[in-house]
Amino acid sequence: MLTLRRRLIDWSLTGLLVLIPALVLRSSLSRGTPSGFDQALLRITAPLEAGVSWVVEGLGGLWSGYVALVSVERENTELRAENETLRKQLATMTRRAYDVAALEDLATVKKRTPADTLGARVIGAPLSPQFRVLRIRIDRGEREIQYNMPVITSAGAVGTIGTVYGDYADVKLISDPGSKIDVVVSRTGNRGTLVGLGRPDSYACKIDALEHQTAPEAKAQLGDEIVTSGKNGPFPPGIAIGKIGKLSGDNGLFQEVEVDPAVDVSRAGAVMVLLAPPPPPDPDGKIKKKSDPAFGGKPQ
Amino acid sequence: MRTATLILVAYFLCVVLAAIWRLVPLGIARHAIPDIGALTAAYLGLTSRKNLAPAVGGAVVIGYLVDVISGGPVGLSALALGLTGLVARTIQQRILVRGATMTMGFSGFIAIVAAIIGFMIRGLYRMPNASMATELKHVVLCAIATALIGPLVWRAFRRVDAAFARTHRERDAALEGLTP
Repeated sequence: MLTLRRRLIDWSLTGLLVLIPALVLRSSLSRGTPSGFDQALLRITAPLEAGVSWVVEGLGGLWSGYVALVSVERENTELRAENETLRKQLATMTRRAYDVAALEDLATVKKRTPADTLGARVIGAPLSPQFRVLRIRIDRGEREIQYNMPVITSAGAVGTIGTVYGDYADVKLISDPGSKIDVVVSRTGNRGTLVGLGRPDSYACKIDALEHQTAPEAKAQLGDEIVTSGKNGPFPPGIAIGKIGKLSGDNGLFQEVEVDPAVDVSRAGAVMVLLAPPPPPDPDGKIKKKSDPAFGGKPQ
Repeated sequence: MRTATLILVAYFLCVVLAAIWRLVPLGIARHAIPDIGALTAAYLGLTSRKNLAPAVGGAVVIGYLVDVISGGPVGLSALALGLTGLVARTIQQRILVRGATMTMGFSGFIAIVAAIIGFMIRGLYRMPNASMATELKHVVLCAIATALIGPLVWRAFRRVDAAFARTHRERDAALEGLTP
C-alpha cells in the first residue's frame, strides 16, 4: 500500500499534469500560432509522417490500380453495352438527319420549279464492280409516274424514268449510254446532245456534236456549265447538267467534250420527278385587267 | 519505459491511420475516425499500477502529439485525454476489459467519454462548436470506428506490456488482458 505521503505526491503530480495542458491550451488559444516547441516537434515528426503516407499511398495505389479491378470489369461491360446503344442511336439519328437533308433538298427544288413535281425517296442503287451507281430505284410507281419523266435534284438533272413496275420505278441516269438529252452551253449558247458514256468507274457523259462558233471566245471551254435546252426531250430548259471536264476533239464544225454531271447520284437520298412541263407564259400577264363585278349590273 | 513505448506505438498508429483514412472510399467513413488517443489514454489509465501520474502523463503526451499532428489547438486533446485517463483509472477496479465484445464496447464507451470531455473543454474555453446534430453524428461515428478498431489496438498494447513483463506470470496476465 502506498503511504499517504506518496499518494499525496502522486495526486499532486497528476493534478499538475492535468493543469499543464490546460495552461498550454489557454496560451495556445491566445497566441493563435504554434509555439517554437510545437514547430520543432513537427519538424522531427514530419519525415515519419511523410514516409508512412508515401508507403500507405503507394500500397493504396497498387491495390486500386492493379488488384481491386473487379468492379472495373463490370463497369467496362456496362460501358460497352451503353456504347453499343449509343452507336445504334447515333446511326438512327444520322439516317434521320440524312432523310431530313434530302427532304429539305426536295422542298428547295419544289419551290423553284414551276412544273408539277412529285417527290420520291431513293430506295435502291445497284452498283458496278467499281462502286459506281448504275441506276437508282425510287418508291413511286405506275399510279403516279410514267416512262421518260425527268428526274432532278436541287443540284441538277439525275436522269429520266426508265422502267416502272408496281409501286417502284428505275431511273435511267444521264450517264447511262441509252440517255440522250438536248443541252446547251450556258455561257455561249452552243447546242448539242448529251449522251452517257456508261463507264464503270465514272459518271462522265459526252457531247459529240457541240455547235461550233468561229470566234475563239465562243468555243466551249473547260468548266463551262451545261444546262438543258428544253428542246427535243422531256426536260424543261435551264436545268443544270454539269460542267465540261474534258475537251476531246474539234473537227472544225463541231466540238467534242466530256461533261462531269452536277449531281452525285451515289449520295442522292430523295429526288423530284417532273410530272408535267411548266405552263406556257401568259402573254397578257403584264396587262392590268379590271375584274367584272360579282353582283349587280355593269355600268354603261 | 513501458509508458514511453506505448506512447510511441500509439503515435505510430495515429500516423498510419491518418494516412490510411484519406484513402477510405466510403464518404461517411471519412468522418468516422477512430480515436486512438482515447484508446491509449484509457489503456494507460486502466493498466496503471500503483501510481496514477505516469498514466495521466502518458495520456497528456499522446494528446499533445495528437494535437500537433491534427493541427488543432495545442493542449485540447492533451487535456481531454488526460481527463479520459483519469476516468479510466476511476473505473479500473470495477470492470475487466477482456474478450473482443467487451473490448469493443469499452472502446466505444471511452471514445464517447473523450468526445464529451472534449466538448466540455471547448465550451469552457469558449471555442466554436458545430451544431448539436453534427457533433452527435461525429461522436457516434467516431465511437463506432473506435469500437471496431479497439481490439486490434489493445492487442498491440498488450504485446508491449508483455514485452515489458518481469515474470512469466505477468506476461501471461498482460496477454490475457488482466490488469496487473
